[in-house]
Amino acid sequence: MAEYIKYVDVTKCDGCRACMVACKNWNDLPAEPEEFQGSVQSHAKVTANTWNVLSFIEHEDSKGNLDYLFRHSSCFHCSEAACVKVCPEEAMHYTDFGTVDVNSDKCVGCGYCVQNCPFDVVQLATYKDKNGKEYKKAQKCTMCVDRLEEGMQPACVTTCHTDAMEFGTKEEMLKKAEKRLSEIKDKYPNAMIYNPEGVGGTHTVYVLAEKPSVYGLPEKPKVPTSAVVWKDYAQPIGKMMLGATSMALVGAFVSNKLFNKEGKGHEEDGGGSHE
Amino acid sequence: MSNTQYSGVKVKRFSKGFVIAHAVNALSFFALYITALPMYTEWFDWLYPVLGGPEGARLLHRIFAIAFITPTFIWLIMDPKGFLRWGKELITWKKRDLQFFTEFVKELFGFKFKHVKQTFFNAGEKINSIIQILTAILIIGSGFPMWFPDLFPKAVVQWAYVAHNVGFGLAIAVVVGHIYLSVIHKNSRPGYTGVITGEVPAEWAKDHYTEWYEEEVKKGNFPDLDKNKNKKKGA
Ligand code: SF4
Ligand code: SF4
Ligand code: SF4
Repeated sequence: MAEYIKYVDVTKCDGCRACMVACKNWNDLPAEPEEFQGSVQSHAKVTANTWNVLSFIEHEDSKGNLDYLFRHSSCFHCSEAACVKVCPEEAMHYTDFGTVDVNSDKCVGCGYCVQNCPFDVVQLATYKDKNGKEYKKAQKCTMCVDRLEEGMQPACVTTCHTDAMEFGTKEEMLKKAEKRLSEIKDKYPNAMIYNPEGVGGTHTVYVLAEKPSVYGLPEKPKVPTSAVVWKDYAQPIGKMMLGATSMALVGAFVSNKLFNKEGKGHEEDGGGSHE
Repeated sequence: MSNTQYSGVKVKRFSKGFVIAHAVNALSFFALYITALPMYTEWFDWLYPVLGGPEGARLLHRIFAIAFITPTFIWLIMDPKGFLRWGKELITWKKRDLQFFTEFVKELFGFKFKHVKQTFFNAGEKINSIIQILTAILIIGSGFPMWFPDLFPKAVVQWAYVAHNVGFGLAIAVVVGHIYLSVIHKNSRPGYTGVITGEVPAEWAKDHYTEWYEEEVKKGNFPDLDKNKNKKKGA
């Protein structure tokens, strides 16, 4: 299947926050009242129940002009997603559209994904079962995969009234981004396409008006080296050792049973329980 | 077989403090292992229902994690002398320690071997202790950032996963060897009952830990088996 991406042109956004509302509405997410953030921004960042936050940044450019920057922020749907890499349950997975989704039935709430997302996106939500026992599940933007499956577009994209967001095939969207970048270069010399290599590119691709750091984004995000060492080296070797030692144990036990027959029955072991 | 020939004479090898510390260490390690398995790999997901779901497994893992930290203190408080001797022996390495391994390999594969004189801990036990200490530091040290990620920088938490993983892999390999030698390997087996009761057959102790045994004989704590040789064995 062709890969799809959500293309976000922050320079067209007017900060209306309709995308936040549409997201909450479609995904049935509870409201999360927050303290005043010191600006129009409602939440400090995305959370387990707020998958999409409009960030408002007051920025002074090199010429000393004050600019008010908006950015629709949600999961980047990395092509090489750290969250997928570290998930021990295969709960975090790639969908047919190339996006990243959590299978809540498989998720055990370990939080490995939370600790390893280079963008600090995915979070744990706490729920209560019918006996009142608490349990946790990872939650984040799903790119409205349930809508995609029905041939619809993500709720935020459908809602946006300025066409700051579009959803389509990777090729088409990247072309649009390039074109847009050339249009705004005069007004925003620092403008760039944010589609970071370190995570294999993303399925939410931005045209940013300023450098990523201005938006609080990492300049060069990547899958944490520790995650690579852990999942590609330590764990496979560990699994091999686990297998090998278990085999050795079984082998030792069997050979002991075979070759140590005479010893049986009158072993002296001073009383302790014996395996 | 060699383990059936010992006379009834027993000597005290392990203090109560050591026996308790060793038992707490062994049981909590085993419990940590079981409660971590389903988290470690999906092969063991079937353990979740047994452990009360992911939440239950996590809670148990944390309870046993606390237990796993205590043995050092139990031994140190109940038997400071033994604990210090352990520490001292771990950093004392002589030629006989290396010889031990050559003979030990011969023994493992069933060749003729001779006992190399050893002190309270033989070279193999010392290696076991050292690796266990290092892996325990890795595992416990990395466990805290995993348990309380909010108190540590993100990179520390991320590397903690690696350290926990590596520490656990090494520890389990050494533990399997350790258990094999004590429970299954016939020539070492009295050590297994010894670590539970605190007592081992005198002859076995003399063969395996000659230097220590002779010292204790000199102090008058243990019977001198050479002198008794011509007399009737047993009590
Ligand atoms: S709906 Fe569109 S214009 Fe409104 S805040 Fe979201 S991205 Fe911006
Ligand atoms: S942004 Fe984070 S949560 Fe989203 S796919 Fe990438 S690693 Fe996973
Ligand atoms: S919290 Fe859930 S989705 Fe995240 S790593 Fe753990 S099992 Fe996977």
